[in-house]
Amino acid sequence: MSVAAAGVGISSVERTGGPDGPVRGAGPDSAGPVGSRRLTPYFLLLPALLALVVFYVLPTLTLASTSLQTGDLQQGYSITWHWATYGDVLTQYWPQFLRSFAYAAAATLFALLIAYPLAYTIARRAGRWRNVLLALVVAPFFTSFLIRTLAWRQILADQGWVVSIMKSTGLMSVTDWLGLTSGRLLATPVAVVLGLTYNFLPFMTLPLYTSLEKIDPALLQASGDLYANAWQGFWRVTWPLSLPGVVGGTLLTFIPAAGDFVNQQFLGSVSETMTGNVIDSLALTQRDYPSAAAMSLVLMVAIVVLVTVYVRRSGTDELV
Amino acid sequence: MPVPDRDQQEILAQLRRAGLSRRTLLRGAGMGGAAALLAACGVKGTGSGASSSSTGASSSSTGVSSSAAAPAGSSASGAATSGSSAGTSSSASASVPSVADRSDTDKTLNWSNWPEYIDVGENNASDHPTLDAFTKETGIKVTYTEDVNDNNQYFAKIQPQLSAGRPINADLFVVTDWMAGKLIQLGWVQPLDHALIPNLKNLQPALMDVPFDKGRKYSLTWQSGLTGIAQNPAALGGKKVESMDQLLTDSSLRGKVTLLTEMRDTVGLTLLDLGYNPEDFTDEQFTEAMAKLQAAVDAKQIRQFTGNDYAQGLVAGDIAACLAWTGDVVTLKADNPDLQYVLPEAGYTLWSDNLVVPILTPHKKNAETLINYYYQPAVAAQVAEAVNYITPVVGTKEVLAKQDPETAKNVLIFPDAATLSKAKGFMELDPDQEKRYNAAFAKLSGA
Amino acid sequence: MSAVTGAVRGAVTGPGPATAAVPAPGAGRRVAAAPDGGGGVEIRGLVKAFGATRAVDGIDISVPEGSFFALLGPSGCGKTTTLRMVAGLEEPTAGAIHIGGRDVAGTRPYQRPTNTVFQNYALFPHMTIFENVAFGLRRRKVGDVRRQVMEMLELVELTHLAQRKPAQLSGGQQQRIAVVRALVNRPKVLLLDEPLGALDLKLRRQMQLELKRIQTEVGITFIHVTHDQEEAMTMADTIAVMNLGRVEQLGAPVELYENPRTAFVAGFLGQSNLLAARVVARHGDVVELSAEGNRILMPAARLSVPGPDVEVGVRPEKVHLGDLGVAEEGWNRIDGTVVDASFIGVSTQYLVRTRQDEELTVFTQNLSTHLRRVGEQVTLSWRPEHTFGLETGAWERATAAETAS
Repeated sequence: MSVAAAGVGISSVERTGGPDGPVRGAGPDSAGPVGSRRLTPYFLLLPALLALVVFYVLPTLTLASTSLQTGDLQQGYSITWHWATYGDVLTQYWPQFLRSFAYAAAATLFALLIAYPLAYTIARRAGRWRNVLLALVVAPFFTSFLIRTLAWRQILADQGWVVSIMKSTGLMSVTDWLGLTSGRLLATPVAVVLGLTYNFLPFMTLPLYTSLEKIDPALLQASGDLYANAWQGFWRVTWPLSLPGVVGGTLLTFIPAAGDFVNQQFLGSVSETMTGNVIDSLALTQRDYPSAAAMSLVLMVAIVVLVTVYVRRSGTDELV
Repeated sequence: MPVPDRDQQEILAQLRRAGLSRRTLLRGAGMGGAAALLAACGVKGTGSGASSSSTGASSSSTGVSSSAAAPAGSSASGAATSGSSAGTSSSASASVPSVADRSDTDKTLNWSNWPEYIDVGENNASDHPTLDAFTKETGIKVTYTEDVNDNNQYFAKIQPQLSAGRPINADLFVVTDWMAGKLIQLGWVQPLDHALIPNLKNLQPALMDVPFDKGRKYSLTWQSGLTGIAQNPAALGGKKVESMDQLLTDSSLRGKVTLLTEMRDTVGLTLLDLGYNPEDFTDEQFTEAMAKLQAAVDAKQIRQFTGNDYAQGLVAGDIAACLAWTGDVVTLKADNPDLQYVLPEAGYTLWSDNLVVPILTPHKKNAETLINYYYQPAVAAQVAEAVNYITPVVGTKEVLAKQDPETAKNVLIFPDAATLSKAKGFMELDPDQEKRYNAAFAKLSGA
Repeated sequence: MSAVTGAVRGAVTGPGPATAAVPAPGAGRRVAAAPDGGGGVEIRGLVKAFGATRAVDGIDISVPEGSFFALLGPSGCGKTTTLRMVAGLEEPTAGAIHIGGRDVAGTRPYQRPTNTVFQNYALFPHMTIFENVAFGLRRRKVGDVRRQVMEMLELVELTHLAQRKPAQLSGGQQQRIAVVRALVNRPKVLLLDEPLGALDLKLRRQMQLELKRIQTEVGITFIHVTHDQEEAMTMADTIAVMNLGRVEQLGAPVELYENPRTAFVAGFLGQSNLLAARVVARHGDVVELSAEGNRILMPAARLSVPGPDVEVGVRPEKVHLGDLGVAEEGWNRIDGTVVDASFIGVSTQYLVRTRQDEELTVFTQNLSTHLRRVGEQVTLSWRPEHTFGLETGAWERATAAETAS
């Protein structure tokens, strides 16, 4: 502020400041060739719209039409508006639907419990290690999803060290009693949920990191200055401000986890098949394409409904 | 033609029995067999399933195959199937669309096979000495892909193109009997020109007239195998699993048992255990077998239904006992010599995987050249030694007896008469049965 | 200003329960003094080291209760670090801080009778204005939150924005909310960390007056960190000018301006003319010096170094510009040539070159229309008591400080 050196504010008085508030621009650039300006946003949207139609709308319509067909491979399929397929898959496979959502919800919860402290540490405490830690979070992606899941099979093997530690510490008898394990980890719901948690952890961590990293550290200092202890500071300031990350992370974890079948296939047993396994079997083994399509659509609709309710209730639309 | 030894004669007999039980014979005649019979009598057939009771079979030539897109006519397979079998093939493949064969100028071949189903180089698993020698001999460059992991999944992969009358990437691929039969019914594979496969004379005679492809017009056996019970003694605690019943009910095995996703193997052994014949059973018997399996699943006896992927768990001991294929177990013994293989007293299944040439490939002649090559006993011996399955090529055992007497003596690779007497095939299913049984079986495995 | 103050005062001092919550002993509305002492702040030997660098390098400051105290200095001088140590946001490396007579060493921010207004306000973006202001009250489980919050919003005339979110407020409004969010907790000391830094010039001047009004109103100690000398002088009763982790000079704005004791203060606060001089003689409390052969007199008290080589200074507006040879009797004088003249409106700024090629700046009020022309020979003169004396080399340091200000 070297102006002041030229005298105590003599010259500066004349300088005009902005108004007390955001400037509302009705600048000269708002005038112009109205037609092209109006259309420009739509042109810019075009690639995205095209991609949406090609990769989402058309496949979904195909799926919908397939679900209403009857026939078989030899005779071909034709649309007969056979709505009963939906009823059939729902009555026959509702346990798998429930299981999918339960496992996905459990995996999402565990991923959140693990990822939140992790993301918090990286965003707030890691200092110069931040980038290294972030790279480590993403590092599993450099190996195939399948290989990583198969590796868990090795780790959780009945003769492996995890099981023997659990057995020698007596933990296994507790989990057995709870019905979570049955003298083994592999081929139990625990292994499936663990696999889902592990595989989708980065999808939880990264959005959380982004939203935690954005929080001004001064806000926490302010809450401390205003008599909030560490817990209150977290609960009243950090947590609500990280909600966009929480919602984003839980969606990115829950949605693919609910439709996943690889983790069940590799880590589960016949007793905990999920919706994805059913769709896989219907489409590839039984070649019951209409049922597979109906199943997929039901899953999709169920997820959309759940997500809508969730986002509404979490009220994140207000946050952003 | 070398004279088959006594054991192999027995295989032939056994395979004939397996394939041609009374009921299957009738069905076989109804499916592919009828056309062959008609053709043999010099009467022009109109399709592959003209006299079948199944409407699915007769519609296959019009409903699904691409005859509409590429009208075939009598010229369809003319170029590819000239020679002595021309009459036969043209009648049986009236609806098979074709493309001009470019084999003479385009010396390439795409071959899709199951994983670890061919010999490998000593240092490099992607190196296949028999294929290298083939290329050296014929100049045909083979692209070998191990992308068949499951009959149904492979079918799902090729179905969209073939049903739309478009060629698939493979010029030659390997599928199990029943799938080969299904593809023949659908008209999605081409008749083979036996004139180009003189080594066909080495085929085990009993494999010549299999129910799904009588006279081997469309397919030739790649390898055969038995399905029995593999077990890891360490995980069993000294116990031995002798029967399917024990596998499904012995509570000391709870959660340490896997079955196969191949319905014909799992259900076949269960039927045998119940005293029924998988080559000829009723819906009620099938239901009873399913109930037995369901009880085992409900008791949490069954850990999983698997394809080849039981291997890891079995070697590690996570799986104490499982349904397994002979060749796999012979190979796995290299990792864990303690592994045991039991062929249940009540009987077990015998199956084959078959080489077929899909429609619309321009490399059919190259494929036939390759089939002919692998039907030499010396070449078959190299493969048999590596994959440990049962070879269809007569004379192989003699070759191996000199090079690798141990393999030649292994009854799982060269089964004796006693072994083969209890081996069964699986009856041909009509599309309706196929659908019902598959759905029921899928439900069993939780999906 | 007075109108605004009057209106607000009328609003908050109205009858009813409002007055009961804020006892007003004596004149004005004062926040009740806590029983354990007042809001004076004593800082002794305070040091803060970050690794090898000492951001605060041993400072002693006394802030009387109820005063508006400014820590002024360029960025990196240690003023914010000092404030944060008072707030409890940083741990001192050495030294002691007493607030209201109590040593606050080792206490958490919320255990101190201080509240802070953060540089970018640090309003909680997910809460309404009401909840922001209520935050501290709710944490302390104080009753009657609503009345206290609304009273504070009235103080800054923003009651109508209570249900808005911070992002919907202008910068000036956010700033006011940040102040009352801290004030509602009735601290003994309010700490303000560059509270006006994000505002544009006009708004900043408006807010300076407003903050001063609020301080007068609530009567508690304000410690205000700023790099803006004009802001500090407008608002503060006492200013500590800081540089390189140390206090250069502490005093009332007028004193700092009229009698800078260091070159840094002379340059950082306003503008100074400095000339090399030599002490010739001392006559009681008057020192006689020689600069460019001219005899200069000044009070001994205004010479901060013993000499003999010193630099004498005088503020540009203290210098009288006269015809060559014309000067008041007894004034210090020096001849020169006008080399530049800028008409600013209320004043004219001249640049005069002396015979020794030193350039002096002169501000003259435009009392007449007579303007000196470039090239004109003139005599500069000023009262001896407007002269101040600094150490040699001060000119360079002052120039540097001027640039930094």
